[in-house]
Amino acid sequence: MTALVARPARQRFAGQREQAVALVHFRLMVVMLMFAGITAVIALRLVMLWAFSDRPSGADALHGLVPPRADLVDRNGVVLAGTIDAWKIAVHPQKIIGDREAIAVRLAQLLPERSLDVYRRILHSPRKFIYLRHEALPELVQAVNAIGEPGIVFERETRRYYPQGSLAAHVVGWTDQDGKAASGMELSLDKRLLDPLRRNRAVALSIDSRVQAAVESELMAAITKFSARAGTGIVLDVHTGEVIAMASLPSFDPNAPAKAPIANLANQATLSVYELGSTFKVITVANAIDSGVVTDMHRRFDATEPLHIGRFTIHDDHPQRRFLDVPELLVYSSNIATARVADEVGIDRTRAMFHKLGFDRPVDIELGARGRPLWPQFWARVTNMTVAYGHGIAVTPLHLANAYASIANGGIWRPATLMRRDPDQIPSGRRVISAATSARMRQLMRLVVMQGTGKNAEVAGFRIGGKTGTAEKPHGGGYQRNALVSTFAAVFPMDAPRYVVVAMLDEPHGTVDTGGYATAGMVAAPIVGKIVARVGPLLGVIPDDRREVDMTGLENTIWKPKADKH
Amino acid sequence: MTGNSLIPGAIARLPWRVLSLVIALGAFGLVVLYSAAGGHVRPWAFSQGIRFVGLLGIAIGLSRLKEDTLKQAAFPMFGVLMALLVAVELLGVVGGGSRRWLNLGFINLQPSELMKPAIVITLARFYDLLPAGEIRRWNAIWPAAAMIGVPFGLVVLQPDLGTAVMIAAGGLVVMFLAGLPLRLFIGGIALVAVAVPAAYPFLHDYQRNRIETFFDPERDPLGDGYHIIQSKIAIGSGGIMGKGFLQGTQSHLDYLPEGHTDFVFATMAEEWGLFGGLAIIIAFLMLVNWGMRVSLHAQSRFMRLTAAGLATTIFFYFAINLMMVMGLAPVVGIPLPLVSFGGSAMMTIMLSLGVLMAIARAERGGSSNNAF
Repeated sequence: MTALVARPARQRFAGQREQAVALVHFRLMVVMLMFAGITAVIALRLVMLWAFSDRPSGADALHGLVPPRADLVDRNGVVLAGTIDAWKIAVHPQKIIGDREAIAVRLAQLLPERSLDVYRRILHSPRKFIYLRHEALPELVQAVNAIGEPGIVFERETRRYYPQGSLAAHVVGWTDQDGKAASGMELSLDKRLLDPLRRNRAVALSIDSRVQAAVESELMAAITKFSARAGTGIVLDVHTGEVIAMASLPSFDPNAPAKAPIANLANQATLSVYELGSTFKVITVANAIDSGVVTDMHRRFDATEPLHIGRFTIHDDHPQRRFLDVPELLVYSSNIATARVADEVGIDRTRAMFHKLGFDRPVDIELGARGRPLWPQFWARVTNMTVAYGHGIAVTPLHLANAYASIANGGIWRPATLMRRDPDQIPSGRRVISAATSARMRQLMRLVVMQGTGKNAEVAGFRIGGKTGTAEKPHGGGYQRNALVSTFAAVFPMDAPRYVVVAMLDEPHGTVDTGGYATAGMVAAPIVGKIVARVGPLLGVIPDDRREVDMTGLENTIWKPKADKH
Repeated sequence: MTGNSLIPGAIARLPWRVLSLVIALGAFGLVVLYSAAGGHVRPWAFSQGIRFVGLLGIAIGLSRLKEDTLKQAAFPMFGVLMALLVAVELLGVVGGGSRRWLNLGFINLQPSELMKPAIVITLARFYDLLPAGEIRRWNAIWPAAAMIGVPFGLVVLQPDLGTAVMIAAGGLVVMFLAGLPLRLFIGGIALVAVAVPAAYPFLHDYQRNRIETFFDPERDPLGDGYHIIQSKIAIGSGGIMGKGFLQGTQSHLDYLPEGHTDFVFATMAEEWGLFGGLAIIIAFLMLVNWGMRVSLHAQSRFMRLTAAGLATTIFFYFAINLMMVMGLAPVVGIPLPLVSFGGSAMMTIMLSLGVLMAIARAERGGSSNNAF
């Protein structure tokens, strides 16, 4: 190469050198332009990859650290609603690369909800995108991913999960496929559950899932036994207003609410209003005693024959055909005697009492689905007499439960709640009746279970008291003899009340062992007895045979026929 | 050039603007490697950091090289590397299906990597020595063609097509800049267009696979196409601002193979999004542009050709890697310099930068060149 250097002439060198520099500069520019072009292509490609990819939407930067929605737990911390990570599995049939037959076989094994033939059809489908499974768990996603087919894609989704299934379904509610709250406490507490600052802490409901399970189980057994259309059960803390259990059966699974009949989704305890019949006699008697209409438990009211008011006649279901005192009125559930007591109480005081108990408005509870009571449009003298025994006014079962709590707890009405209340959160409430009246009512309710229509609710040692109510369901302009709503509203233990228990069957049918009767005493009272026997110990109420309600003042109130005195 | 200057003066004269660009790229690479390891400095970020600091020191040391030293070293260096390439063929360590590395006891040396800047310097020296009048003659072509062709052939045999292509590209750009007749290059491109399909049957299976996969990545989704499919998913899933530091799922769930080496750009793009990707592209473009400007202002033919050739080497690294990661080029195993985990590519880039800084320094008579 040294030979090459020596060859050129010196004078030509300088000019050629300048030319060479110019050439290099020119070609450098060409190279730089080329580089700029390639870089532009790369940048364009990057933008295209960004623009044409399907990204999961939503800012889930905090994902994994804080749940997107707070858990719902019962009063003891049992999870009623939680959030889990899941995936959607889908396929782009056009983009399948592997052997469609092999993939179809594998999919049929992993996702057995469809047959092999269906998978073959899906994989050969001309459609662009088909979902194979929603809410798949990680193990399944991993197994499907292991097929190694890039035409099968996964999309992350968070899924609300209800580990207790149908337990307390109406209370908890559910979220729809998009994760939006649809009903129940999920909907009522939506803001709180989504609050970024608080959603790491679970929200405690007032429900005790053990008690709820017992109520649902006894209620369902009774619905089956008496072929009832539906049933409602409530357990309410008389002192705090907390709903310990609230069941509306038949129910549904909030994990798949769409699979249940629509009727099952309604919460009968707060949405449906019923004429609750004789259970209202307790309210009428309490009002009469509290207002001074009845001061003597031995004072008798004429129940010898049906009562004619205008063109209306009031009958008794268990006619005694004699004068009845107030304890007998309740024990034998006399409509006639109740109507006479109500007539003395008067329209104004009856209405005032119903107002105080909240019967003129939807029940006080956090749920959105609350029925408006049917309040009499015109309050005539006869109206006043019939609402006294629970006809002509329709309220929800929860209205009734809360009224019984107020009457039994010393006379204080408090709004019911589905949120667990700490002692300092219990509202002071408002007085409905005096403490003395409340004490008398406890004696009378206990008497109904000891000697009256509520005998079937008796469980040794639990001092249960309450009142039956059997109402014919309205139909057209009148009532249907064979379509009953049978209710038993109870409080226990009656000497120191803790809980209200309401059990209601909608259209029960009598069986051989009830003698064909479907009345409340026959079908609803036993439910309450069984519920109390199961949940009393869970709630800290120990059965004690040595304790009983002090019946002072009620001596010789229940008249016994001579034949029984032998 | 002032050997007696105080240390602070020497430090102050360093080309800080280009150094800060390199340090920013390297630091970003460490952040990505830290995330790729699931938020740990081991096994990648820590050793990469040490290597980065060490090699940057070497580059700064190289920036004090004088033109004459470099000129004298050019041919001997080429000779040594040719010998090493032959040695690799005979004694090399087989790794990843090809014979590329020479185990020197303390380090696994990849001579083909060093050949990338060496071919540029050697050819620059050759055209520097060649009299201007000879440039359009046969004598200007065949020695250069041989100097490119022999190492190219040896590296293809390893087999390492990506590196071979880069060696050829660096050399060809120097030939182009040296002023060889344009028709040669046009003719050459036409010849390659004809020859590559003809050479296709002689390629290795894996090379053929990669090329076929390039044209249809979904052809082999579990094998060679898998890289590309997952990489494109990872890049696309980042969005504008990315999923956030440590939040990438493709890379963290090991969907993305080689997420810390050749496909580190995908790992990065998933977490830093379009923004991060464009930032890297702009940074490399600034670096290459700086190298080209050094070449434009160079005082001698040797310096001019060397600077442009080295800038080209840096450009091809980044361009081939990004095209490969985004499915624009076959998967040929070219890492993203300064960001990917691994020493060889970083060493090549740092040596190139060192020489470029030396040339920039000579242009300013010993002072730094801060222009990009």
